[in-house]
Amino acid sequence: MGPEGVGGRTLHALRYWERRQEAVANNLANVSTPGFKGERVFAELLEGVGPVARGHTDTRAGTLSPTGRPLDVAFEADGFLVVDAPGGDRFIRGGSLRIDEAGTLVTLDGHPLLDERREPVVLPEGNVEIAEDGQVSVNGSRIARLRVEVAGDPGELRREGANLWIPPGSREVVRPEAVRLRQGHLEESNVDPVSAMVEMLEIQRAYGAIQRSVQVGDQVMQTISTELGRVGG
Amino acid sequence: MRTAATGMQAQQTRVEVISNNLANVNTTGFKRSQAHFEDLLYQSAQGVTRVDGADAQTVEGIQIGRGTRLAAVQRVGIQGPLEQTGRPLDLAIEGDGFFQVQLPNGSMGYTRDGSFTISDQGTMVTHGGYTVVPGVTVPDDAVQVTVGRTGVVSVVAAGGETIEVGRIEMARFTNAPGLQAMGENIFTETAASGQPRVGYGQEDGFGRIVQGSLEGSNVEIVREMVDLITAMRAYEINSKAVQSAEQMAEVANSLIR
Repeated sequence: MGPEGVGGRTLHALRYWERRQEAVANNLANVSTPGFKGERVFAELLEGVGPVARGHTDTRAGTLSPTGRPLDVAFEADGFLVVDAPGGDRFIRGGSLRIDEAGTLVTLDGHPLLDERREPVVLPEGNVEIAEDGQVSVNGSRIARLRVEVAGDPGELRREGANLWIPPGSREVVRPEAVRLRQGHLEESNVDPVSAMVEMLEIQRAYGAIQRSVQVGDQVMQTISTELGRVGG
Repeated sequence: MRTAATGMQAQQTRVEVISNNLANVNTTGFKRSQAHFEDLLYQSAQGVTRVDGADAQTVEGIQIGRGTRLAAVQRVGIQGPLEQTGRPLDLAIEGDGFFQVQLPNGSMGYTRDGSFTISDQGTMVTHGGYTVVPGVTVPDDAVQVTVGRTGVVSVVAAGGETIEVGRIEMARFTNAPGLQAMGENIFTETAASGQPRVGYGQEDGFGRIVQGSLEGSNVEIVREMVDLITAMRAYEINSKAVQSAEQMAEVANSLIR
């Protein structure tokens, strides 16, 4: 056993459960964030080190809820809209859009959406219609088709915050006939509050159990040292 | 602990927005608001690498979320139901557009609340006393006032002849949700809303004016109540997450005796 020994392993175990607690807390905080995907943390056992936290995104779709707002869009199938954010291309899982003062279709944070030709979408005045395949029309005349992409490997998507995802190196454009966009809807967060609550209780129990095992171990060591000391003396 | 606290703050904002919607369920021309949330920046926790031995093994780091924040509170501009009042000076807009009114500070205000009256000078004003732009003056001896769908105001004078006394103009904005609410159902222009474009009813995408009706609030009570319950539950759950984090910290502290 290395110098880290029992103490090191305990430390890793406690840290792992803390990471899980942080992930659950973040999931619960985002229970009303449209398009949010929960993060699951699991343990990977590293030999000689102990459990280490690994994360993966729960990519299941959230429930679609009608909002009646014409610029709310949600996906019924796989896909992300592509926006031009300060850090480069970013993916968004639909959400609430708006039209800025120049008539450009942007996210609530003001990042322009890109169309098939990677251009921003500038809309004339009128009633905006977004078709299932991402075609944007105003008063019946077609303006542009929104760019819809998927990640080559969904596991490689990274979170940036502000509902943005950092796309991985390999990404594909989704064919128009495979796009399932819904206007006037938002995708709810896919966090299930009940199972998150249960998980939180489990985490608390496990954390407490480790703490008690440390205390018991500590008592054993103390007893050994005092008893052995007595025999030796 | 802070992560869960951001969740509580978010739900509190949501409850405030819903309460304001519910309070305005009977406000003429009121548009409901909706709070939108987004997740906060992520922090990357360092991965762990075991270096001893020949086969070094690495476990990648994970991204730790720090909670949620309010992205925006947006007005939902969908049409409210038209409610018949029978009052000749109650005007509703069915479709796009705002009535223009002159505010005391000289700037222009915009409203969908068309419950107008005639001032002592004979001009058409809102019930708050702001003059409708362009000014429409109704002569003292008018027996009947008619407002057409395109905004033409005509009166029947005491003598029985019909006179056209003015035409109500309307304004539209590229991004109407960007208008700033001033209270009294009046909005003002902002950089976000864009410049107003003026026109007449039933022309260039403007809605039509309906006399004898008012546009009701577009708040639906059932929907707001459901949202309110969800928000309150989510608030409770996030408060439990705060407690849980607190208890874990206590446990960690008790490791040192």
